[in-house]
Amino acid sequence: MLFAVYRLYPLLEGLRLSFTNARLGRPTQQWVGLANYTRLAEDTRFGVSLWNTAFYTVASTLPILAVPLVLALALNRGRLRGLLRSVFFFPFTLSVVTVGLAWLWLLDPVVGPFNYYLRSIGVPARSWLADPHTAMWAIIGTTVWWVTGYYLVIYLAGLQDIPRDLYEAAALDGASSRHAFWAITLPLLRPVLLFVGVTHVIGSFQLFGQVFVLTGGGPGDSTRTVVQHLYETAFQNFFQFGAASAMAWVLFAVILAFSVLQFRLLRGHTEY
Amino acid sequence: MSARDRGVNGSDGISPTRARVSRRAFVAGVSAAGVAAWTRRTGAQPKSTITYWNGLTGADGKVMDELIDSFTRDTGIRLEQQRLPWADLYAKLQVAVPAGEGPDLALIHTVEVPHFANDGVLEAIDDATASGKGFRGDDYLPATWQGGTYQGKRYSLPLDVPQHILYLNVKVMKDAGLVGADGKPRGPGSRDELVTMAKRIAKSPDVFGFAIGTVGPGRYTWGFHNLLWQNGANIYTADLKRAAVTEPAALEVAEFWAALEGQHKIAPPANANCRDAFIAGKLGMWIAGSWNFAGLREAKVEFVAVPLPRLFKQPVVWAMPHQYAFPKVKTVDRSRRDAAWAHVRWMTDHVAEWTLKAGQVSASRKAHGDPRITGDPVLKALLSQAPNWQVGQPTPKWVAAENLTRPVIESVYTGQKPAKAAMEDLARQINALPD
Amino acid sequence: MAATPRIDRQSWALTVALLALAVLWLAPIAWVVATSLKPAENIIRLPPEWIPWPVTGAHYHEVLLGSSRTARIGRAFVNSLVVSIGSVVVVLGTSALAAYPLARMRFPGRDLIFALLVGSLMIPNAVLLVPQYVLTQQLGWLSTYQGLIVPEAAMLFAFGVFLLRQFFLGMPRELEDAARIDGAGPWQVFWRIIVPLSQPVLAALAIFAFRSAWNDFLWPLIAVNRPEMFPLPVALALLRSAYSSESYGPIMAGAALSAVPLLVVFVVANRRIVEGVRLSGLKG
Repeated sequence: MLFAVYRLYPLLEGLRLSFTNARLGRPTQQWVGLANYTRLAEDTRFGVSLWNTAFYTVASTLPILAVPLVLALALNRGRLRGLLRSVFFFPFTLSVVTVGLAWLWLLDPVVGPFNYYLRSIGVPARSWLADPHTAMWAIIGTTVWWVTGYYLVIYLAGLQDIPRDLYEAAALDGASSRHAFWAITLPLLRPVLLFVGVTHVIGSFQLFGQVFVLTGGGPGDSTRTVVQHLYETAFQNFFQFGAASAMAWVLFAVILAFSVLQFRLLRGHTEY
Repeated sequence: MSARDRGVNGSDGISPTRARVSRRAFVAGVSAAGVAAWTRRTGAQPKSTITYWNGLTGADGKVMDELIDSFTRDTGIRLEQQRLPWADLYAKLQVAVPAGEGPDLALIHTVEVPHFANDGVLEAIDDATASGKGFRGDDYLPATWQGGTYQGKRYSLPLDVPQHILYLNVKVMKDAGLVGADGKPRGPGSRDELVTMAKRIAKSPDVFGFAIGTVGPGRYTWGFHNLLWQNGANIYTADLKRAAVTEPAALEVAEFWAALEGQHKIAPPANANCRDAFIAGKLGMWIAGSWNFAGLREAKVEFVAVPLPRLFKQPVVWAMPHQYAFPKVKTVDRSRRDAAWAHVRWMTDHVAEWTLKAGQVSASRKAHGDPRITGDPVLKALLSQAPNWQVGQPTPKWVAAENLTRPVIESVYTGQKPAKAAMEDLARQINALPD
Repeated sequence: MAATPRIDRQSWALTVALLALAVLWLAPIAWVVATSLKPAENIIRLPPEWIPWPVTGAHYHEVLLGSSRTARIGRAFVNSLVVSIGSVVVVLGTSALAAYPLARMRFPGRDLIFALLVGSLMIPNAVLLVPQYVLTQQLGWLSTYQGLIVPEAAMLFAFGVFLLRQFFLGMPRELEDAARIDGAGPWQVFWRIIVPLSQPVLAALAIFAFRSAWNDFLWPLIAVNRPEMFPLPVALALLRSAYSSESYGPIMAGAALSAVPLLVVFVVANRRIVEGVRLSGLKG
């Protein structure tokens, strides 16, 4: 219950701060009521960053759920499982800054290899991270590369847990492997999917590191995320702690709503 | 069940898990204490020690270390440095100083002085004390000396002058036929000449003619400021009350910014790494900070550095002097404060060494005549720009305004937003900044 | 199980395809490692050179030995190890202890506490930073190991409870009931049965917690004022040159070095995951 103290107190203090006009370094604070929240409603950049974050969350959920799953299924059927699993896991050991820098170079429009190879096969190069239409997708791609390994390991453990006799019984009954997937594998993996899904949503609403390194929120504000907006409000533009706290609570409410929805959807049938 | 039970000290014996936890932590704590004690014992016993924070990551940091060593040898005063990348340093200062955990001495940028001073993070430097320690305005170039003041009070003393300069890639210029009779490339004399020359360079495939900024030219606010100042415009009006980015002079600059990539097609994409492009021979003319030239020499690129051309009305050169400042402390320790002053005095006296090794021209005039400095072509070019230096406006909102400017000019550069609309939007945002 | 030739060929084809993908997958990492070994003037070249030649150890030397005196990487490495291991141990211990009652026992406010914990996961850490700083300062824990371990563990605690509770809920009660019939008290049930069976989950949590503690940057940045107490990410940040002009060589060398411990943790923990999976899997 120590953690309640360490976690709850800052949380409530944050709530209190959101009703003041606190500034980092300013010794006095004044109660300003809901002013911070109403100002948020006018802050179009907050709205934009909220939208971007939501877009990222929704758009990335399917790849993050599916790619490691497909890989896990393939790894399960193939050989050299241990080696391959370690290879795919490797990116997860890197810090977000390293990942960002590596991909920044890879995707660089002038000296990056990705565009270089594209050009050599005749495809015109694009500046992936500077084009508002592709920037977010590039970030999603980078994130998929980064975290797939961890979810892969989780999926593999889940897959190996499914008793083989179920598959054998299904084969005996004449079921195709595709049918077996939908009828056996997926339902039995539901709790794993739920775990991956919820973890991912929680993480993606807090998206900050990759975006900061790869695009800085650009081009314009098209990849700006809520946490970046919050961080800048709290630590850069004026250290407005009250406003930042208000932002955090709004974000919290949004994520809560989202997660409740997700839980309802996936909770479905855990009895089988 | 207090934190202490769970943490470093004993076991309360309730369960093996918890015993293992506390035992592990205990061992860790003891070994850490042991290491700390050992290192302290093997250190020297100095006369006094002060804490010093700066952001000189990179090659100039090593030079600073050497100079600090010399200083310690000369005076016996030790400096405990904490070095962090600038952005992190400022965030940390803002958190630590109000809590009384700040350093005795800090090196910051000029543009940070107004907002730190306004927030009470820095201590005012009384003029009598400054001149008593030998710091006089006449020894310094005006732009640098002014930069350390806010609302009539002085808060910092300048050390050196990072600034912009125009780099020319010799090979790229030669390939485009843009060299003079002596085989050396020349810079452009005007905006139109710049565009013409850049277009010629851009005729080679995948090569760009011109760029401003190290990485991400689209977001390079310092370059944008430089161009604004060349056209007599600025971010704020002269009374620092309202945004001035919608004035005609500023709009002219914004239009030029918008035309670089889209219309003239001479500049790389908004997020390109110009430094890498220059090194790889994909960029011909590059306006960037003076701090880059050491890295260019290390990468063995053939280049020359020439003074900034006059692209608009005046050949203004953006400068961002490093400033020594004294963060507020809960109680002023006389000996520590004196030690800090001693360091600033010593560094100013030995600033020629700093210039030669770290490549940053000094703010004080005295070192400018040193033949070792004037003998280096790049340093000479940097020095020649001294009359044209300009620094940011002394308002505490400067940095916040700059952060707002960044994505806006990027959207102009990429063509997402037309220049006029973007500047109007920026003006609205800047005017909405709280006091 | 007799494998027909068709299935065998299929599994090999799959493996080959996966190997090809794996090679591509490693490309960014290959660049990180290759760059760390290239001399400075070769780093930025087109066409991109994937194999460094000549090879130099200068960047590693700079990172390990020559780096600025304000943060020795070796010491930072040790700091990170202590903090990360400490955090993992604390998190594993406390979340297991908290998750078990939340999963198995009934008491008033149980669901509320759980909801609160899960909810706390969704607060971005940035906003808790300053109150946490004030609290840590008042406890006198700035620049100490516990000042780094406890907040980190607090951050991971809710996640650990969430994960473990899911897992405990899915475990069949028979084993525990049998043990209780045999006269075992709740602690023994927990210790002798639950914990060994939860190895795969504990291992997964350990990996996650270690990585989070190892890579954390923002909190140690402001919570540590003595350079010799900096953990690795803060020390490595020094390699990022001023004014955002990167010196790739040392940065990549630092990145490569800092990835090693996590790999080790993965190898160790992974074996646990694989072993434990046979006893009981990751059920919900």
